[in-house]
Amino acid sequence: MKQELTKIEEVIVKPEEIKESNIQELMDTFFSKLKNRVDNYIGDYPTFIEPVYLEDNVKIGDDVLLGPNVYIGANSEISDYVEISNTIIFDNVKIGENFKLENCIVAKDSSFNFTELNVKKSVLMGVANLKNELQKIGF
Amino acid sequence: MPNKEKLEISRIKEVESTNLARDEIRDEVIETKKAVERDNNLIADKIHQDFLNNSIKSFDIVGAIGAGKTALLEKIVEILTQKYRVLVICGDITTRVDADRIEKHNAETIQINTGRECALNAYHIHQIIKNKNLQNYDVIFIENVGNLICPSEFVLGTDKRITVVSITEGEWVIEKHPMLFKMSDIAVINKIDLKERLGTNVEKMINDAKKFNPEIEVITTSAKTGENMDKLLELLGF
Ligand SMILES: Nc1nc2c(ncn2[C@@H]2O[C@H](COP(=O)(O)OP(=O)(O)O)[C@@H](O)[C@H]2O)c(=O)[nH]1
Ligand SMILES: [Mg+2]
Repeated sequence: MKQELTKIEEVIVKPEEIKESNIQELMDTFFSKLKNRVDNYIGDYPTFIEPVYLEDNVKIGDDVLLGPNVYIGANSEISDYVEISNTIIFDNVKIGENFKLENCIVAKDSSFNFTELNVKKSVLMGVANLKNELQKIGF
Repeated sequence: MPNKEKLEISRIKEVESTNLARDEIRDEVIETKKAVERDNNLIADKIHQDFLNNSIKSFDIVGAIGAGKTALLEKIVEILTQKYRVLVICGDITTRVDADRIEKHNAETIQINTGRECALNAYHIHQIIKNKNLQNYDVIFIENVGNLICPSEFVLGTDKRITVVSITEGEWVIEKHPMLFKMSDIAVINKIDLKERLGTNVEKMINDAKKFNPEIEVITTSAKTGENMDKLLELLGF
């Protein structure tokens, strides 16, 4: 599992290469091996559709739907009314309220401090306090 | 609409009571509730079409906690997996206990933990099958969250709905839940092996089910002794 994560992280640090990369293939391989681990989060009772893998110290808000195929890195925070499927979120990320992510990758240390977003098939990164500040690369 | 108001509406929707809505937002609450049900039905229709297109037989199983839904599924799946490729989706507010029990009988399982929600809905099922090649399955079972109330509103797009009650729930359990039996195709009265000991009036239960829904098939079973498992499988079309 870690091996694919490392590969994916190597791809997304070079944003100009994401489009031409085999990122979807890497994600699919990763998800096919993904285990379920949901007994270690902090927060309200979300809905989980397995497999969902949560690293330690993940915070989850109210009325959240995670899965299937969701990996969330350590110390990341998922706000209220969020829905995520087929997505990899690396460490120390903050996902804003009412985000809907499908088939996405969120780079480590990203922080999205605004509400409402609906994205598919994209890599998201950086710090954004407003929707128009969001760094997003489709694949 | 301001965000605060939106949240308020969704909260009210969650507790399922229009009466709680202030007059100013009452219409909005009602509209939202209607839309949610409509959306669920649309998704369920699409799921059912996907199942049919792939020649999959599909069933959802509802019933109270402890009625024997999982125990029956264990028996059914044990037999069916000898001939068919079976997927079982298990709903529970938390844990993977049921999926683990069923997996022992060679079926692929997927657990949904609904957290605070008291029933599965069509969107949950849609999210699972969007990642699946349905050509890999012949039969799909969905065990709903243990509960006789919430699941009645949400159809899941299966061929048939099976409602399981057990005679340990008392002979009034069907009489008290008309809605669910109206929406079911098969009523299973389980734990029939305990009939002598409990003295439950099973005939009353059968009559109640037929009274609410003349079309319903009623069958008594024991997941413990295996009584009538063959008949149940026959009702399911195997
Ligand atoms: N005596 C008897 N016990 C049963 C029968 N079916 C299930 N049980 C028991 O009832 C309990 C609850 O069963 P389970 O399958 O977990 O119910 P579920 O919550 O509806 O899935 C378990 O301890 C089962 O062994 C039955 O037909 N007869
Ligand atoms: Mg069960």
